[in-house]
Amino acid sequence: MSNPTRRDFLKTAAAMAALLGLGPGLVPKVAQAMEELVSGLAPVLWLQGQSCSGCSVSFLNSEAPGPAAILTGYLSLLFHSTLSATTGEACLKIINRAAGSGGHFLVVEGAMPAGMPRACLMGHQPVTEQVLRAAEKAKAVVAVGSCAAVGGIPAAENNPTGAVSVPEFLKRNKLEVPVISLPGCPAHPDWTVGTIIHALKFGLPELDELGRPKVFYGRLVHEQCPRFADYERKYFAKSFTDPGCLFKLGCLGPVTKADCTLRKWNGGTNTCIMAGAPCIGCAAETFARSAAVPFYRRREVEEASSSS
Amino acid sequence: MTAKVEIDPVTRLEGHLAVRLELDGGRVSQAFSSGEMFRGFEVLLRGRSPMDAQQITQRICGVCPISHGTASILAQDQAYGVSPPPGGRLVRNLILAANYIQSHLIHFYHLAALDFVDVTAVLDYQGRDPALVALKAWIKSQVEAKVTYPAAPFLPRYEGAYLGQAELNLGAVKHYLEALEMRTKAHKMVALFGGKAPHATALVPGGVTEQLTARNLAAYRAMLDELRTFIDQAYLPDVAAVAQAFPDYFATGRGCGTFLAYGVFPENDGRTEMLLPGGVLTGEGLKELRVEAVTEQVKYSFFSSASNLPPAQGRTEPAPDKAGAYSWLKAPRYDGRPMEVGPLARILVAYTRGDRPEVTRLVDGLLNQLGAKPEALLSVMGRHAARALECKLVADRAAAWLDQLGPGQPTFTEFTIPRTGRGQGLTEAPRGALGHWLEIHGHKIANYQCVVPSTWNCSPRDDAGVPGPVEQALAGTPIADPDNPLEAVRVIRSFDPCLACAVH
Repeated sequence: MSNPTRRDFLKTAAAMAALLGLGPGLVPKVAQAMEELVSGLAPVLWLQGQSCSGCSVSFLNSEAPGPAAILTGYLSLLFHSTLSATTGEACLKIINRAAGSGGHFLVVEGAMPAGMPRACLMGHQPVTEQVLRAAEKAKAVVAVGSCAAVGGIPAAENNPTGAVSVPEFLKRNKLEVPVISLPGCPAHPDWTVGTIIHALKFGLPELDELGRPKVFYGRLVHEQCPRFADYERKYFAKSFTDPGCLFKLGCLGPVTKADCTLRKWNGGTNTCIMAGAPCIGCAAETFARSAAVPFYRRREVEEASSSS
Repeated sequence: MTAKVEIDPVTRLEGHLAVRLELDGGRVSQAFSSGEMFRGFEVLLRGRSPMDAQQITQRICGVCPISHGTASILAQDQAYGVSPPPGGRLVRNLILAANYIQSHLIHFYHLAALDFVDVTAVLDYQGRDPALVALKAWIKSQVEAKVTYPAAPFLPRYEGAYLGQAELNLGAVKHYLEALEMRTKAHKMVALFGGKAPHATALVPGGVTEQLTARNLAAYRAMLDELRTFIDQAYLPDVAAVAQAFPDYFATGRGCGTFLAYGVFPENDGRTEMLLPGGVLTGEGLKELRVEAVTEQVKYSFFSSASNLPPAQGRTEPAPDKAGAYSWLKAPRYDGRPMEVGPLARILVAYTRGDRPEVTRLVDGLLNQLGAKPEALLSVMGRHAARALECKLVADRAAAWLDQLGPGQPTFTEFTIPRTGRGQGLTEAPRGALGHWLEIHGHKIANYQCVVPSTWNCSPRDDAGVPGPVEQALAGTPIADPDNPLEAVRVIRSFDPCLACAVH
């Protein structure tokens, strides 16, 4: 809950430090970062482009700290379309004022319809323009989820809106601002919350060539897969619900960097691969990009060859 | 005296909605609902593998992905000629039920309740509840620190007549916080069988990929029990209390008065029996659903494709500069008429049929408690009440589905993808009737169309100029202060609009 005590801070900071892969010596520093957040030093603007709100919903699934604690204790969430009590014109005033004074974190969820700005409006203005204005003086831009980070489904082949990722959009508009990309469909709540706290206290987390924090995206799903031993001994599932490696069903774990198999989803409840579902590469740079790379293999291929 | 009011953006709903109102004598004379964001799912799905569809269409909406996944795998089941085993059907029900619960809770507490409940009441709180004490301290510290926007995102808000009773306000605020954890729990239930939430990868044609174990069945049951307690002890009483405090809203936001449901939660493998049955309810009474009566019209929508096509032949050709258009939503119509969809439609169809004793008991019980007649359900409060009753009905029934399952029971039936085929997947999202239409040529998607609940509810005018259900519900609504059109957003939010869904 809000206004946490020093002890609460240290407790959560310990969890957060572990989450970020930091040693226990840094716990006080993390706690201090969180206290600064509480005193309103880190205003956050959360804008939605071509999004499904799935990353917002996923953000609410954060557990340590939980959603109530984040909203009232850790972030000064000036605007979020799904959560803000504020409605109508006042929303634009808040966004414009925060963008003008700067020093905020800009979280962007969703892709940018660069080829059809009319495909995403708020208050009669293209959200693309609002993102540019709000990014200009931001401390950092966090592109949360695959749509914002890499384009995702709105930017898939044959899309009609010319959608691009947020980093690409800022680059095209020659806007130089630190950008952190958190691909994933949705982004894991730990990735979003952990990144914002890291950015505040330690500066930008160490990023890879795509702007992803290495701590979350350093290794392939495949390398961290609970079925990796099955792969090694070539024990492959032939159909859904079979035991064995899911590679021959189309698993994209070998081309997807993310720590979801170890971190697991929904507070450690499950993962796609544990549930027998091949990784669809939702955190990959190429997620859903090409019709030539379907999520699943075998069925069409088999029938196509037998009928040809 | 006439005036114009713009509510842009309408927040606390999913996505990008703008509503324009024309006022005459302090009441809404005309309303225009505009969906403001387009991605083009139906366009980019063409040419892809049909199995991509259940993953891609889930991303239409992060609040109800399970419903899109369900509609897609139902369409594929039909196209491939496969049926899930009983275990697969029941697990699909459990995944969907868990997402209904999370969706209904988030809608009432986090999206809609802030239009009725006064969060600032916590500033006068003198009790010892730690959550409320902390919330009070936080708001006070923000006010004292002269933060530009104290207590964001809970303030600023439209000013107006909020709930006056301190105790109710405090209880609802406390439940707002608790419901955040409850909906997280409901998402864990989705993930137990779906792999993760939102966007569950375990949904596939032929059933689900997850297997049943004593562990995941017990975990689901344990969390379901907690949620059922919250629904009974917080959600239903809170909705009843808000309804009693705002009796005018049983006579506000009536809408088009015509209702459509496809039916959801199959109770048998042939899908002939549904927990919540389908049907069409109009002034002429309750009729069987005829899917062929559904078309989508686009005169006022940003599409150049032909109007009034049935979804199986539907087209989506964007025309962002089209003259006269004011929304990215198409206008779905049934026999040419607008239809309200959602929990109210489902509950009214079941109640009117009279063959669902549990529905009859729940509805009559609530009406008695509130001293209201069934006609009063056609209103803002009727929608909230129906949603809460449905949440209880689904959660209670999920416990019975669990009873039918055991470890190791098969959840998947093998299938192949034919060179050509067609499928129609009809289900219900938390927000209402959802249909996906799939056509396959050469193993690839030749056409894919989605007609989505909020497309029905938030639709613009149709080719004949008839307003959509939300537009009709707004007409006649009294607006005390045009600068703070609180009454209008109460009407809009009672429909639980989801704009990412509606346009897709």
